[in-house]
This record gives sequence, structure tokens and C-alpha cells, in this order.
Amino acid sequence: MSEQQELDTDIQEAREEFLGVEFDSVEFDLQPSHTIKYATLCGETQERFLDENHPDFQAPPTFVASLSGGRYLPEGYPRFGGVSMDAGKGVESLEPIRPPLKLIGKSHIHDIFTKTGRSGRMVFTVTRLEFYTEDGIHVANSDSRQVSRERG
Amino acid sequence: MAKEKLSDVEFGEELSAFEPDTTLATGAEFADLVGWIREDGAKNRFNSHEAAKKEGLPGAFIPGILSQGYLVSMIHQWAPPAEIKKVDTVFRSPVIADVKHSITGVVTDIDEDEGLVEIDLTVVNDKGETRIFGTASVRLPQ
Repeated sequence: MSEQQELDTDIQEAREEFLGVEFDSVEFDLQPSHTIKYATLCGETQERFLDENHPDFQAPPTFVASLSGGRYLPEGYPRFGGVSMDAGKGVESLEPIRPPLKLIGKSHIHDIFTKTGRSGRMVFTVTRLEFYTEDGIHVANSDSRQVSRERG
Repeated sequence: MAKEKLSDVEFGEELSAFEPDTTLATGAEFADLVGWIREDGAKNRFNSHEAAKKEGLPGAFIPGILSQGYLVSMIHQWAPPAEIKKVDTVFRSPVIADVKHSITGVVTDIDEDEGLVEIDLTVVNDKGETRIFGTASVRLPQ
């Protein structure tokens, strides 16, 4: 087996053990004043994000990116040998989020993949926080990507 | 002119440039709002240039998720009824507080069947250096 195949084996094992397995659940209490301030600081100008009496009042779509679970990674998740850094964030809006309301955030590892550069292998871990209303409606996803850069 | 419906949008068109508020005061207020400042107000990389420099950083950071919020606000100014379906950002380098930045955007795809527009977004500093890349998928009325 080549070195690359051996390296990929650890990724395959991590994928089999961790992908899609919920490891954290947190409840969030969203208040209009909080999301309005968030929208204001982001430079939002549309009244549906700024006026809680607006008929289409909702939190700004990226608000969920500010909510984090109790744990970022599951217990026993491998370190992949390098220092971990923030590689980016993504938000998917499925339904408008209209405060005041409670959201339940459920975390799982959504993807693990590698890229190999001149300085060695980089392992990317995507943690997805899925948000649901108390009625079980899936309203948004927030992805955080971390990269561990291994020494070549 | 603000875009109200999908047919107002042209492939390759550029969004009006947006200058976000990257002052230290705003970045610090935002960091406090999202819980990144301790209750005792201790100085850190989001509310103090000096504290950031002690960490070996060039200056205080604007939180990445605030920059993400700027991208969305820019889209809403360009097309007020736009529904953001997805936005993805890659933090290439920090956005330093109290440095002027600008955001540009360009329409890279229009899906007339789904009513979706794809937009590439870039945050650059006053030296023209790219700090953040972003892509967004937005829905506009047909």
C-alpha cells in the first residue's frame, strides 16, 4: 500500500465512524432585539430584518452562524496531526426564522476530506449545525470548516 | 437601480460596490453581541489593537461572521426582495479593524427555472488585497 493510500485510510475510518452522527444538541432562545442589533451592525437596511412589527419580520439569514453548540467536535475525533484553523463558514437558509422563538441546534460531522499541497496534506472537517423549530421544522444549516495542516 | 425581479438581473453584471463599517468600535460591539468579549470587558483580538498585537497579529480583527453579514447586506441593497438561500465564505486573511475595505460582487449564473442567481463576492482592503471570498445563491421573484 502506498503512503497516500495509508493516509487516506485514516480519513476513510474517520468518515465511517463520525459522518452524520449527532454529537451535540443545544437549545437557543432567539429574541427580536438581539437579531435586530445583529442586522443593524451588519449594515442591513431592509425593514423586514430591523422592525419586529414588519409583517415579514425575520432574523438576518447569516444570524445562525453566530450560534454555536456545546461542542465543536465529537469526543474521540482525531487531531490529524496539525494545528487547526478556521477555513470558512457557510449558511443555508431553508425557512425564515421569526423571533421570538426557540431553536434546537443539532451538530454532526458533515464532511471530512483532504487536499494535498506543496507543504503536505491538509485535512478539512466540516461541522454542520442543523437548526429546527420546536415543531421540528428544519429552518437552516450552519457549516464551519476547520483545516488541519500536516507537516510534509 | 435596485433589482426587484429576476428579469432585472443580467449575467456578468457587477453589484454596486459596498463599503462596510470596519471600525474597531463596530467590530467590538458585534463581538460582544455574539459573546466573544468576556463580561468583564477584557481586551482581546476583537476589541483592542494592542491586545491583538500582543498575540502577534497586525491589529484587531473584524469577526468573520460580521464580514459574512456585510456580504448579505450588500446583496439586499442591490436586490431588496432577494432571499438568501446559501452563502459561503472563505476567510483567506483577516479583515483588520480601522482599515478601509470594500466589497465587490458579480453575477456568475442565472437559473431562470429556479429563479436563482449566483453571485461571487470579494472583500478587499485598501491595498487591493483580497481578504475574503464568498459565493451566494439568492432567489428573486420571477
